[in-house]
Amino acid sequence: MYKSTGFISFVLRRFTGVVLVLYLFTHILVIGSATQGKAAFDATLKIVQGPLFKIMEIALIAAVAYHAFDGVRLLIVHYFNVIDYRKSLFYAAFAVAAFLTAIGGLLILQALFYKA
Amino acid sequence: MPDSNQQPTTAIVRIQRFNPDVDKKPHMQDFTVPLTPGTTILDALHQIKTEQDGSLTFRRSCRHAICGSCAMNVNGRNVLVCKTPLARELDKQGCVTIKPLPYLPIIKDLVVDRSSFWEQYLRVKPWLIPPDNVPEKEFRVSPEEVEALHNAETCIMCGACYSSCQVIAMTKHYVGPHAALKAFLRVLDPRDTAPAERLADLAGGDGVYRCHTIFNCIDACPKNLNPTQAIETLRKLAQKRQAMEEARQERQKTLALPVKSEE
Amino acid sequence: MRIFQMQRVSAIALLIFLGIHMAVMHYPPWEIDFSKVVIERLSNPIWKMIDIAFLFFVLMHALTGAYVVLTDLQRIGVYKRALAGVTIVLGLAGFVYGTLTIMAFQPPV
Repeated sequence: MYKSTGFISFVLRRFTGVVLVLYLFTHILVIGSATQGKAAFDATLKIVQGPLFKIMEIALIAAVAYHAFDGVRLLIVHYFNVIDYRKSLFYAAFAVAAFLTAIGGLLILQALFYKA
Repeated sequence: MPDSNQQPTTAIVRIQRFNPDVDKKPHMQDFTVPLTPGTTILDALHQIKTEQDGSLTFRRSCRHAICGSCAMNVNGRNVLVCKTPLARELDKQGCVTIKPLPYLPIIKDLVVDRSSFWEQYLRVKPWLIPPDNVPEKEFRVSPEEVEALHNAETCIMCGACYSSCQVIAMTKHYVGPHAALKAFLRVLDPRDTAPAERLADLAGGDGVYRCHTIFNCIDACPKNLNPTQAIETLRKLAQKRQAMEEARQERQKTLALPVKSEE
Repeated sequence: MRIFQMQRVSAIALLIFLGIHMAVMHYPPWEIDFSKVVIERLSNPIWKMIDIAFLFFVLMHALTGAYVVLTDLQRIGVYKRALAGVTIVLGLAGFVYGTLTIMAFQPPV
């Protein structure tokens, strides 16, 4: 039974959610370094905007986009009677998330490779 | 009538076996059964038990999809084997794989322990709590109210939905789609006097808010029922259970009126 | 039921706040440094309010989500109360720390 679109949606949503929780606390701490003054903040940000982190940012965009649009799909299911279209809704949410990730990813890669 | 395209006359049935007295863990065993256009998987299992291996153990009773005994996992999906044609389930090698319902403890072969299934069913008090003023003739329930209950009444308690649910796979304390559907039946029944109490229990930690809308229950149900929709409705009603209780009390004032014209 | 409601409310709020966040923070050139974060935005009280609200809702969604993920498992679900306590503490800690960071800047820098 586990091989269904509902199962895949559920597992991906959980996985991206956990990843995002971990990212959130890291993000709060990183931005928190601003209280130590401009120099400390700029130094920290320089590290977390290095090329490796930029690549990981693409994965972050994918996680946020998927989690957000799968969540929107859940809201639609909660408020409207759309059980008949459950598979199409999942594919649509996945497609929108993939599309936005592709755009975001391309922009980031472009900035990375064409930096002066 | 011979045709140039020979239809296969036998099929391979791959069954998960487990004898607790002998085996350490389950293993698969292949049997070859005769195949005719009308053979169901239950027919095949009976043929194996009567003519090949009498120790094969499985539940079945009515053999026409109303008792709910024969739910099993066929080719990865939960189905009633009495109404599943064998020919339709064969893969390219002419083989079908049969396993017991997933996520439940196995007693023997294809028989699983459904205790948690029944526990959750009893938890939602699946009986009518009637009003004090019982009418002389009948309860005056409208056709629309009866129609709303139709799906929930059709459930045969086969366990296909329960066993396909990923939340059940993670915790047996979850109420489960089967019990939620039965609770839905009683909450929406205008004759029932305790909707607020039922909704209060369902709104708790292991109730309808633990459903993650995975939809496996709808895919598995042999009667095409919709436990997810019932759960969503219960979620909405649980948030306004006081209003629901008041509406029910209003409704019950006209429910048990005597039929004046017939006196 | 309360956890479910908190999840849904914060989810809808986040759709809005995340949209705002993406629009104002992440556009070319992509470099983020002290001036972009603090001088352009955090010194403005309106942005401070928006960021604090954003932080509140994101912590609510993340921690109710983490709570649900963990209590879904039968073995961990028995420690529901302890988990609830931990998530509330983490939420408060994150909120306090983040708010202090946001409030720490007064114009002019």
